[in-house]
Amino acid sequence: MMGLNIVLLFKYVPNTNTVNVDPNTGTLVREGVPSVVNPHDLDAAEFALELREKYGGKITAMIMAPPNATKGIEFLLGMGVDDGVLITDRAYGGADTLATSYVLAAGIKTLEHYDLIITGQETLDSSTAHIGAQLASWLKIPYVYYVTEASLDNGALVVNRQLESCTEKYKVKLPALITVLMHSHPPRPITLENKLRAVIKKPVMMLTNNELKLNIQCTGLRGSPTVVAKTEFVSKIPRKKEIIKDKSPQEAAAWLISKLKDEGFLN
Amino acid sequence: MAEIPDKFDAIVIGAGPAGSASAYYLATKGFKVLVLERGRSPGSKNVFGGRVYVAPLKEIFPDFEKSAPIHRWVTRERMSFMHGNELVSLDYEGNDHKSFTTYLSQLAAWMALKAESAGASIVSDITVTGLLKEGDKVIGIKAGNESVKADVVIDAEGVNRLVLESTGLVQALKPSQVALGVKEVVKVNPEVLANEFGLGEGEGMAWSLMGDVTSGLPGGGFIYTNKDSVSIGLVMLLDSAISGANDEVYKYVERLKTHPKLSKYFKDSRIMEYSAHLIPEDVSSLMPPRLAYDGLLISGDAAGFLLNLGYTYRGVDFAAYSGYLAGKAIEQAHGLGGMSAANLLVYTKLLDQSFIMKNLKRFSGTHKLMRNRRLFTAYPAMMASLMRHIYSLDYESQKMFNTVLGSAKENGMGPFTLLTDGIEVMRYL
Repeated sequence: MMGLNIVLLFKYVPNTNTVNVDPNTGTLVREGVPSVVNPHDLDAAEFALELREKYGGKITAMIMAPPNATKGIEFLLGMGVDDGVLITDRAYGGADTLATSYVLAAGIKTLEHYDLIITGQETLDSSTAHIGAQLASWLKIPYVYYVTEASLDNGALVVNRQLESCTEKYKVKLPALITVLMHSHPPRPITLENKLRAVIKKPVMMLTNNELKLNIQCTGLRGSPTVVAKTEFVSKIPRKKEIIKDKSPQEAAAWLISKLKDEGFLN
Repeated sequence: MAEIPDKFDAIVIGAGPAGSASAYYLATKGFKVLVLERGRSPGSKNVFGGRVYVAPLKEIFPDFEKSAPIHRWVTRERMSFMHGNELVSLDYEGNDHKSFTTYLSQLAAWMALKAESAGASIVSDITVTGLLKEGDKVIGIKAGNESVKADVVIDAEGVNRLVLESTGLVQALKPSQVALGVKEVVKVNPEVLANEFGLGEGEGMAWSLMGDVTSGLPGGGFIYTNKDSVSIGLVMLLDSAISGANDEVYKYVERLKTHPKLSKYFKDSRIMEYSAHLIPEDVSSLMPPRLAYDGLLISGDAAGFLLNLGYTYRGVDFAAYSGYLAGKAIEQAHGLGGMSAANLLVYTKLLDQSFIMKNLKRFSGTHKLMRNRRLFTAYPAMMASLMRHIYSLDYESQKMFNTVLGSAKENGMGPFTLLTDGIEVMRYL
């Protein structure tokens, strides 16, 4: 086998460290919030790069998002990913996971050849972890979640899947899809050489519905059966601070217990 | 697809106002330029007070007014002296478009985009760690264990001159050479801008504050109105802040916001951004011994180009214009046959002829004034008591001259001190 053609799927998400919730509408205030590559997809990127180092081949980053996600592709190119595909069209906006995976499947079918789709375990901003399974189903390929290791064996992929209490080992036919266990592969730093290549060669292809020619009843908001029934704003719990000073451990413990009783946490 | 060159015509360190102005100019002249930015994106490491003078930027970018992110034109200038709960203010209203408010992150991003559209390559998230040298000649930059070559390097790395320090061209900053600026950008109700600040559509205010702002430490405060927010902050000489400040610096900003005479401007406001940055203060001692070397030019804050007059600060226009001149100098040196120190010396000449050096020379003693504590304590107090005597009366009115001397005396200053301080102010400002 002559190297692996890997598709790295990612999402460009608001940096949730800086996101606030509008208490009136229950929606995220995204104004002025910088976006980042979903951190769990960075583990996937590192995983893909390690596979490419081992087996050769090529990594294509792919995303369905508004055009500003090009910055996300550039970041991944800086890590060493070979090229990128941005799927963007107004008709794809407001998509839930089903409509998103439908478009991504169409995007992947435009590629000449792929062996393996790799993505992060879940996203920072919604955490559904739907896309991997849905996409594999559209493409009718096997998928394995929570992968920590992968190697080739006679043209098949052998993977370790990490569960809470055990590790499972699978052998799957290629092409396949895997999601990489979060925090399992800390991403490498970006390099000047890779960045330069990204900025000067701009190896990013854009696909719109002109190319994919999908029925727009099945994409974007219209193609999304998910209905958000209600969002509830959970107000912040006011935190109190009192510092215990100059008390023996026994006194401090007694003081703490009486405090917790006062607050109704203990009977 | 374009090829990655083995060597660039010019590398610019830093995509702030200075760096992007250089890159833009050189790119429009057909030079192959690479800009390396430490932050996530151009502008992400930049901090300023809130106002930029427009003339130099219009010279650099002919379409500046049409497409730059201008929030409000400053139509109203206010200078206030604070003493306790008293505020003495001087107001000037004009309506000429000389300066504007904006977010520097937006302005720097706009400038970088101009440079990029003109053909410069801008690479973010990369920290330049040193200069690549061949003998005394600078032939490129180093970023960790990577390097890129260029005919000339423009150092526009800002006030924290890690590259110049690592190369031994300048000493590490001393607290006495810089000031500390801290700032909050707060979202305010549009009615506050209309009613409290009294601003119409597109009109802005630049407000400088002296006196109790910094609890008597040398420094001052500022307030600028943006499109739908207000920037408020203060500047303190770093050495006196280190020795004299008895609170975290952000608390000084909080105190300012909640001052009885200022709080109405910040009612129901919400913090959008907090930032802090060093500011060149003692410019003559900060300026590198030379600004042009073999294969190297230095511009912007890295060259110490900033003017603090107490009632206004100028940094962004100085930086951008110095970057622009660096670009011109490189163009001329190219015409002369190369980037030798002798050919690049034209940069120094261009600077000397420009408003940058003229201003910096004219106001070279201003930072000494900042050491006169009376300006931050006794005089604001005197202004307040003077006004109190004139306006805050029950029956008898006071004679003006006696009131001045009386107010001075109340604050421990005799006629002689007034005279010598007056002369000092006349001399330096």
